[in-house]
Amino acid sequence: MLKHNKNAVFLLLAALPLALLGALGSGPVSVDLSSALAEGWSGQSSDAVILWQLRLPRALLAILVGAALGMGGAAMQGMLRNPLAEPALLGVSSGAALAAVLFLYYGAAWKSGWLLQALAIGGAFSAAAAVWLLAGRGASAGRLVLAGVAINAFLSALIALALNYAPSMFAMQEVVFWLMGSLANRGWDQLFLALPFLAVGVLCLFFTRNYLRALALGEDSAASLGFQSRAYPFLILLGIASAVGGAVAVAGTIGFVGLVVPHLVRPLVRQDPARLLWISALAGALLLLLADILVINFVGAQELRIGAVTAFIGAPFFFWLILTARRGQWL
Amino acid sequence: MSIAAEQTIEAACIELGLERGRKSVLRGIHCAFKPFELTAVVGPNGAGKSSLLQCLSGVQNPSSGRVELNGVASGQMTAAQRARLGAFLPQSETPAWSLSAADMVALGLLPWGRLPDREQRIQQALLLVDAQEFAERPVTQLSGGELRRVQLARLLVGRAPLLIADEPTAALDIRHQLQLMQNFRSLADSGKTVVLALHDLSLAARFCDRILLILDGEMLAQGTPQEVLTPALIGEAYGVSCEFRWRDGVADFVPLDLLRKSSG
Repeated sequence: MLKHNKNAVFLLLAALPLALLGALGSGPVSVDLSSALAEGWSGQSSDAVILWQLRLPRALLAILVGAALGMGGAAMQGMLRNPLAEPALLGVSSGAALAAVLFLYYGAAWKSGWLLQALAIGGAFSAAAAVWLLAGRGASAGRLVLAGVAINAFLSALIALALNYAPSMFAMQEVVFWLMGSLANRGWDQLFLALPFLAVGVLCLFFTRNYLRALALGEDSAASLGFQSRAYPFLILLGIASAVGGAVAVAGTIGFVGLVVPHLVRPLVRQDPARLLWISALAGALLLLLADILVINFVGAQELRIGAVTAFIGAPFFFWLILTARRGQWL
Repeated sequence: MSIAAEQTIEAACIELGLERGRKSVLRGIHCAFKPFELTAVVGPNGAGKSSLLQCLSGVQNPSSGRVELNGVASGQMTAAQRARLGAFLPQSETPAWSLSAADMVALGLLPWGRLPDREQRIQQALLLVDAQEFAERPVTQLSGGELRRVQLARLLVGRAPLLIADEPTAALDIRHQLQLMQNFRSLADSGKTVVLALHDLSLAARFCDRILLILDGEMLAQGTPQEVLTPALIGEAYGVSCEFRWRDGVADFVPLDLLRKSSG
């Protein structure tokens, strides 16, 4: 039962390009994939433009955002030593959301391809900085998360207040839809904006992999194994702020991926918190890409929001968790 | 149980003080730990035993004074250097994830980075504590005694010359207590410097070479079991009248009654 399940990992790896092809083939108009691909980046035919300028960046963004959320969740669960933790607990997503909400609130939406996203990233980092300052110098992982919960609660209250006093129904709708997350109408602009933040986040989390391993034994044991430095919790906070903040900024708040994905794939890597980072990124990318394919192919008057899809995937997962707990395996 | 000590170490606490918040939990602790010696740190709850072990293992930075390992202040070493010299088993080390026993033991090798004989070391450590048969079982499914053996293997796998454990016998039945103390005794005999916090004074008297008696963050007495485990000192530290029945250097500790605390 504690096999390092290489086959499952390969299966996930193989499924990703297939899902990518599926995403490229999905859309309201049917596109001749092979000829559009052959035309290349600068193709002028409508098929090529749809493929290279609309579908490819959207699919790649789904992969990046899913990977960031999955990896952020794995890091968060590792730092808290709790399988029910998720990156939103640190207040980073709320920080991004509040900045975006205030932007939408003043009706400035869609005037620029990247201003909203840039502000949201600023919001994510401001929230992370507030968490860091509130936790104080030399904060342990536990105190850091407590500060995150406090900041998150405060920011959520501000978001609720902003919704309460929304200037118009239209602004309110914009805000609510943004909070539900979406990858629709995202292009290369958003991808290139998010990419450096995701890269920095992944790099930060990479440096904490052995700390997360040691932390499996508790903070005292981790300290005795040479991971006494408070730089490690800081790197995790920075990594989550950067990766998840970047992801939320371009895609809105997408719940459950950071919570469910690490939990699902943990058995595949013998519960190792370090390898969990990579496999969670992979599985998160796959999950969000599949969810977005569902969104694209869903026919309805309103766009189906990807946050609603992931919530529909996440909720049954909790039912399943409770049922296994009732069978006496844990909790 | 035999493992040749590759390196021996002398550890010393010099004028060690520790403050937590505004409370001073250790004051002016002066003591030394030598190879081939098994030392017990005893004292009532809250006396500062755990704090002393945390400072000694580098988990806590002392507020004043210093810890020296082979004459070098541990604050001047890198975290990994210090972790290779001294291994620490905290009071409760429950793994957060359902790691296999072997994977949990492997965590003890983290200060060493990549090792060519990694698998060999893990197997050897499991063998030392007689835990090979459940090497692949998830640690969350182990009994208390089995988990403690895996924790001990985790402590030993890095082959640190200084071994520190905080109340390793707590919550173990008498057979496992004896087994564990015998393990630590033979580790000390092979050249390790072993420091344990203990509550069981009989076990301390029987297995340890030296005893440190701590009260309210200060060193009340240190010496051989015969010197430290006297009704007068135990009465002062614990507020309990007691009797030690020495037989062939082994003490039976019999607590008798509570002492009225004298005023002041």
